[in-house]
This record gives sequence, C-alpha cells and structure tokens, in this order.
Amino acid sequence: MTSMTPDTLTVQDFNQRGAATAPNRKFYGETLLELARQDPRIVCLTADLTLPTETDLFRDALPERFLQVGIAEANMIGIAGGMARSGEIPFVHSFCVFATRRCYDQIAMQVAYPRLNVKIVGVIPGLTTLLGVSHQAIDDIALMRALPNMTVIEPSCPAAVPAAVRAAAAHDGPVYLRLKRADGTEAALAPWERLLSIGKVRMVRPPGEGLLLACGMMVEQALRAADLLAAEGIAVGVVDVPTLKPLDPRIAAMAEGMRAVVTCENHSIIGGLGSAVAEQLMEAGVRTGFGRVGVRDVFAEGGTTPYLFARYGLDAAAIAQAYREARGRGSV
Amino acid sequence: MSGGAERQPALRIRDPRELAEIALQLRRKVIELVAPTGQGYVQQGLGAADLFAVLYFAELRLDPADPDWPARDRLLLSTAHNTAIFYATLAQRGLVPAAEIGDYCKDGSPFEVNASERVGTVIEATCGSLGQGLSVAIGMALAARRRGDASRIYVILGDGELQEGQVWEAALLAGSLGLDNLCLLIDDNRMQVEGHVDGVVKLEPIAGKFASFGWAQEVVDGHDIPGLLGALDRARAPSARPTCLVVRTLAGKGVPMLEGILAHNLKLPTDVATAAMAALSNAGDVP
Repeated sequence: MTSMTPDTLTVQDFNQRGAATAPNRKFYGETLLELARQDPRIVCLTADLTLPTETDLFRDALPERFLQVGIAEANMIGIAGGMARSGEIPFVHSFCVFATRRCYDQIAMQVAYPRLNVKIVGVIPGLTTLLGVSHQAIDDIALMRALPNMTVIEPSCPAAVPAAVRAAAAHDGPVYLRLKRADGTEAALAPWERLLSIGKVRMVRPPGEGLLLACGMMVEQALRAADLLAAEGIAVGVVDVPTLKPLDPRIAAMAEGMRAVVTCENHSIIGGLGSAVAEQLMEAGVRTGFGRVGVRDVFAEGGTTPYLFARYGLDAAAIAQAYREARGRGSV
Repeated sequence: MSGGAERQPALRIRDPRELAEIALQLRRKVIELVAPTGQGYVQQGLGAADLFAVLYFAELRLDPADPDWPARDRLLLSTAHNTAIFYATLAQRGLVPAAEIGDYCKDGSPFEVNASERVGTVIEATCGSLGQGLSVAIGMALAARRRGDASRIYVILGDGELQEGQVWEAALLAGSLGLDNLCLLIDDNRMQVEGHVDGVVKLEPIAGKFASFGWAQEVVDGHDIPGLLGALDRARAPSARPTCLVVRTLAGKGVPMLEGILAHNLKLPTDVATAAMAALSNAGDVP
C-alpha cells in the first residue's frame, strides 16, 4: 500500500509536478532563492500556495523573510506595499487569476500608482488546469497591462524562467510575472531562452513571408505551427514576445512588408498580446494581413492542456489555420 | 528599543489643556480650509480633531526636519478623505508648509480632497479606496520588526470602513502574528455616506470583534484627551498583541449647531462657515 503522506496524496494537477514526468528542478523557486541570498531586501509572501508557487525553497532557507498570509490575496498585496515602502522588495505569489483579478484595486493603489518595487508572481496561466474556470487566468495580461507603471513579463518556457526572474528583480518598479511551471512536456532547451531583456522581443525563427508573434507557452506552439506551414511551402518567422509591457517598439518595423502577422497567446484575444500588437501596427501605419490566436471571448472549462488547447483553438493547428486566413487578407 | 528612539525630537506634549488648545486651533483651521470652496469633510474633521492633536503632538515620534527618518513612527489615514483635519495637523506640526495647504482642493494643488503621496512621504500610503490601510500598516509593522527598530505603526480607519472585507483579512493576520508595534484607531463617528452606520450595516460590537481576532482593544471617548493619552500608553506597552482603539467621536464636535449631524459630505455655505468660526472663536477656555 502507498504510504500516506500529504505529498503522495496531493492531486498531481494542483501542483502540476508529476513525479514521473516533471524535472526535479524548480526553475522559479531556485532562482528566487538565489537572488534572495544575494539581496537581503527580497522578501517572499504567499497566500496558502507555497508548494505550487515553488516558494517552499525560500520558506525553508530564509524563514525570517517569508510570510504566509493565508487565503487573502487583497491583504497580501497591501502588506507587500507596506513592505516595499519600508525598503524591502516583496515577491508575492498565487495563481495568476487570484494574483491579479481578485486584488486589482489593491494592486492599482498600493503597488502600481506608487510605483513600488513589488513583484507579483502568478502560476497557472490561461487554459492549463483541470481546476476550471475559477482558476483560469484569461484576462490577467489585459488587467496588468492597463495599469500605469506596471511591467508584464511571460517567459516562453521553464528554461526561460530564471532569466525572467532576474530581469524582474533587477527592474526598479512593479512587475507582473506570468509563469507556467514545468511539467516535463516542454520542448528541449534552446540557447535564446537564457536571455531576457525587458521590452525586447527575440526572433526565434527567421522571418519568411510572414510572422508569428507569441508569448509564454504559445512560443512552442507557434514553432510547431511554423513547421506545419513550412511543409506547405509557407515560410514564417516566429518571434518570442516575453515582455507584454512595455511592448518592443520594433515590432512595427519587423511587421512592415510581411504578408501576414498572427499573434498567439494563452489568454483572451481582448487586451493581451494581440491587442497590444494591433495597437502598435495601426499607430505605425503598417498594412498587413493580421490575425489573433487566443481565447475568443469565452469562458472555458477545466481539462488537460492539450484538450483545452485543441478545444479553444490555441494549438499549432489553430495557429497555422489562423495564419492561412490572415495571409488571405494580406496584400501579396 | 534600538538607538533610533533616542534621536526622536517629538514634542511629547502631555498637558491635556495644551493639547485641547491645539485641537481647538485645528478645528478653526478645518473651517478655514473648507470655507473657500465648500469642499472637504467638515464633520469628520471636527470630530477627529482631538485624536489628531493627541497623535501628532503627544504620541508619534517624528522629525519635521527629516520627514523620511527611517525609524519614525508611521501614521496611515485609511479614511483618506478626512483631509481638512489631516492637512491642518500636518501643517501645525511643521510636516507640510502651512502656506501651501491654503490651496486645499484647488486645481493643481497636491493637497487634494483624498490625501495622496503627491503631498510627500508624510502621506505614508495613498489610501481612499477604503479597506486597504490596515494591510499596508501590517507590511510596515513587519518590516520594522525585521529591521529591529522601534518604529510603531498607527492606522486610522473609519467605522463604516469596517464593512470592507479586506479589513478582516488584515485583522485576522495581525492578530495571528501578534504585531504589538501596530495600533489601529477606529474613528467611530457612526457616519457613512448613507447616514448612520446602523442603518446601513450594523457594526457593533466593534471592540468585541477585534478581541475575538486576538487584539488588545479599548473603547475610548474621542474627546477625552487624558483618556486618549492613557489608552495610547497602554497600547505601547509590550503585549505580543496589536491594539485596536475604538475612538468614539462626535461628528461636528466643537460647533454646537453642527454636532451630531451625520452628513458625510457636508456643504459649508459661507454663513454657516462664519457662524462655525465664531462658535470656535468663542470657545475660549477649554477645560
């Protein structure tokens, strides 16, 4: 019989760290602890989600700088504001949806307006959980992007997380960090994942007639979509956009002359990457076929990620199809 | 206590007569600030004048020459609209320029109806979205504890503000953490936008609620200056518990024709302002 401990009895989805599939590394947790050892101002707050946010490493190593606030995200944000005003650098943690939507006014008034050095870290982005609509953050990028002074970062894969955390810590001001924990299904590492500069995109596949712009785990889907299109003789580049805000102003120049541009995000098509890119292209007068891949203004449901990505049109096949349609609208 | 405490140049006025005289001056200033535009919160300001006088002239360790002194005590006004009395007090204490608060509520002035940090760091956090001040105060209390300095954190909430759920998240945690460098003052004037709090959502027993959350608590007459001094002394004593003082204040206190009128947004026509100023000027010897 299986020995009965909290670890063995925890539902795999909740921690998204299946022992059989996930690597043992805690990409976020290890990096945060490393940074905290270097900078005594860093403190760590969590709202009853220590293990899922990988902050158990911090808790165990630096307990005097760790605060468990209980299930109270609004309070956590206010406390972080008070700590930041006292010279500390709080990293606050929850699921993406609770770290943003649930405490939006608190973030606006106690973090963003005073431009405090608070880092809001969320896990479970978009449609990546069995837990269902209550736990799916499909508007967090839009919400955080709308706040003055806020920087929004979503690294493309676990290997890119350490660079994202370092960039967030080095930035003097509020940051929302949108993370997807490793579950062992991610594609192999690529060298470009080790760098991240706030406000800069990275070309991860050279441009052809068009471009796919993606953030977070959609970078991997976009690369697969580019393969599908290449098999049809359509060459498209893939650009990783790890900073949703500030958005790299060079995107317009990259899009100029392209037959089509398609944005790819694990988020609503309203207010996130697709909206941000459209705003920039329109203001720059760039004319190109344009499409957005994302959650199409609906609430979803709980399920496995591959199922949800197929069902809600976020997978590589959906991206390839969106590109075909967009190039039909573009000028040859 | 760390070395920071010795540096403190606070006035520490303990004479109730002297504090009452300051409170009277602050009440006059409330009328003076609000009268030109009729904008501002008169009833709350008059009601809280004794509390503000005691806090800023007897209790808080502050340095007007160095408002950013890291080991200072901090006061957060979560009811950030109660600015006529707040600015009057800050000016009287030398923490903001007295000449500038005359621009109160005028376009372009940092002295807005809702206090924001545009005024400077003496506004320790921008509140006004009710329910948030206690959480920020907890963050400051924890940071002070981590620094090992003697800073105490004071936060004023309105009684109506207790209807915000975040207050109770914060109250639960502060009790759980035993933050005895935290002092919550509830400006209990029984008034909110829609009138008497009991007509909106009943709050009593306020002190009992905080007691059950692990706080030391007292109900204090907000116009009994020796009583306020004593309660703050007891709150300062080490106890491993945060303190909640339920400060019973009378809206409009000091101007007989305004006392007890529960008008959250009181208009102040010129004739009323003149009569109020006359009443305060005639107050003469305060007991």
